[in-house]
Amino acid sequence: MTVTQEKLLEVSNLKQYFKTGRHSVVKAIDGISFDIYKGETFGLVGESGCGKSTTGRTIIRLYDATDGNVKFKGEDVHGKKNSQDLKKFNQKMQMIFQDPYASLNPRMTVMDIIAEGLDVHGLSKTPQERKQRVEELLERVGLNKEHANRYPHEFSGGQRQRIGIARALAVDPEFIIADEPISALDVSIQAQVVNLLKELQEDHGLTYLFIAHDLSMVKYISDRIGVMYFGKLVELADSDELYKNPLHPYTKSLLSAIPLPDPDYERNRQRVEYDPSQHDTSEEPEFREITPGHWVSCTSKEFEAYKQELNKN
Amino acid sequence: MEKILEVNDLHISFDTYGGEVKAVRGVTFDLKKGETLAIVGESGSGKSVTTRALARLIPSPPGRIKQGEILFDGKDLAKLKEKEMQQIRGKDISTIFQDPMTSLNPTMKIGNQIMEGLIKHQKMSRAQAKSRAIELLELVGLPNPTERINQYPHQFSGGQRQRVVIAIALACNPKILIADEPTTALDVTIQAQILELMKDIQKKTESSIIFITHDLGVVANVADRVAVMYAGKIVEIGTVDEIFYNPKHPYTWGLLGSMPTLDSTEDSLIAIPGSPPDMLKPPKGDAFAPRNEYALEIDKEMEPPMFKVSDTHYAATWLLHEYAPDIEPPEAVKRRMKGFAQTGAGESKEGERP
Repeated sequence: MTVTQEKLLEVSNLKQYFKTGRHSVVKAIDGISFDIYKGETFGLVGESGCGKSTTGRTIIRLYDATDGNVKFKGEDVHGKKNSQDLKKFNQKMQMIFQDPYASLNPRMTVMDIIAEGLDVHGLSKTPQERKQRVEELLERVGLNKEHANRYPHEFSGGQRQRIGIARALAVDPEFIIADEPISALDVSIQAQVVNLLKELQEDHGLTYLFIAHDLSMVKYISDRIGVMYFGKLVELADSDELYKNPLHPYTKSLLSAIPLPDPDYERNRQRVEYDPSQHDTSEEPEFREITPGHWVSCTSKEFEAYKQELNKN
Repeated sequence: MEKILEVNDLHISFDTYGGEVKAVRGVTFDLKKGETLAIVGESGSGKSVTTRALARLIPSPPGRIKQGEILFDGKDLAKLKEKEMQQIRGKDISTIFQDPMTSLNPTMKIGNQIMEGLIKHQKMSRAQAKSRAIELLELVGLPNPTERINQYPHQFSGGQRQRVVIAIALACNPKILIADEPTTALDVTIQAQILELMKDIQKKTESSIIFITHDLGVVANVADRVAVMYAGKIVEIGTVDEIFYNPKHPYTWGLLGSMPTLDSTEDSLIAIPGSPPDMLKPPKGDAFAPRNEYALEIDKEMEPPMFKVSDTHYAATWLLHEYAPDIEPPEAVKRRMKGFAQTGAGESKEGERP
């Protein structure tokens, strides 16, 4: 993997609170920080409700962050007010959604769905150019140009997800947030979509934030992975490192729960349960670097213990 | 082992405005006492329809069992009247549905939902049924059952609801438990708990489980035997080791290859190209042929019969015919087979073709 160590996206101390009543607040994201380098795929995993989707949506400004900031190529994204600047940023960052049935407008033709971004950003000067660009995109994602005049209901789930990908690609983005792009698809179709995403990354030098709960697929596609638990990032490491040497007990528990297509392994699998009360509570945990690139949320006491654990291996 | 259920040449169709959708086209299998049979396949392969037919849960019209028999306890379930079926459904054969959010009645306390079957089938009094319901909730690992029995479904989390659904399904000690993607809507950690729970309960009650899923990881975890379905037919059936370590059908190869393992290093996954056929007009010959890179000429003309690989292992592909060319399965599958040869968990000699 050739990852140039140029930071494309810097998220620091991001918080997203939702008010659910007069006095109750849900802390969906509670102060998380990470960087995404240019050209890499950053995976974000965790159970439902841990805030991984909210993180993606907050980065792209579908929600206004409660606190913290997000920098894209060194520029603060959330401070921008001017609509001209916003537009420029929106073009660089696109999103692919989870549900291919709900994320395409049923009343628009595929042509209009894909070209919406072109229209908004004024990227095609003539109708011919617009049509040509849409047909190019359709073929790029493995559909036919004849599909342009059809409506979303005429397509299967996998095909719709391809339309969603074509729409994201239309404006030549540099960074794509993929929020569980394959969860709703059949196994054989999942592999098709993942392969397509990988190819596109190579051809266009894209950077991905890949959000999912299917850990074996995340490992397969990601260069680095962050594990979230209750709105916090508990561990972050290169994907091989994370699977080989998980340190945080939650990560261990999560990894031990993945069923693998191997009966022998499954017969001998030991599941580890996560008990949040096992942590040292003498001080607030901080995000610390155990070995270069391997970060864990821990107290200073735990920090020493984790270091020893790694040395043993 | 004793056979508890036998399904012979089952055909199920749905009459729609577009014509007859042949959802299940000749399915034959049996279920032994105390075993778990997993049925895998993509959406639309007919796996849910097949198992719903076992409990006669196919709405008719539009659905109908065109042909075939379902032998259970000396009776052919395919021909029973609804009245007679009601004596069996929920008592001898019960179902756990996929979505715990919609399979419970939101306006009924969960205690009453569990008691319903007990009062109807076991002729229990309300008080008896209630204490049994509390027992069941304990069995499925729900804390504070005496209080929770008076709560409504919305007061439970997804994993807890699925436990309640399992309690309902287990209420009358069914001989056959049909689990239709029981963990698909749940998180991995919760999924692992529910799978362990089902295995524990099976040990205690000796019931047989038919487990439907498209997640091969889950199959490897729970199944004793596996049936792979494609386009309304079983294309390969065998023990879990035979299917995972010595698969014979190219569709099974594709399914296994399209899932990354934790140590996979390939640059791209083997995706099965194209999409499943339209069951309004099932293709002539082998339905998988258009997506199959190993397809032979004969696949376009004639449907392959089931070829015997071992006593427990059968696959419907012409590649197993004695005149078929020798074909190398994909790398990822070969690596699996190597493990099989080493552990020797079953036999597969070349030349054992029928």
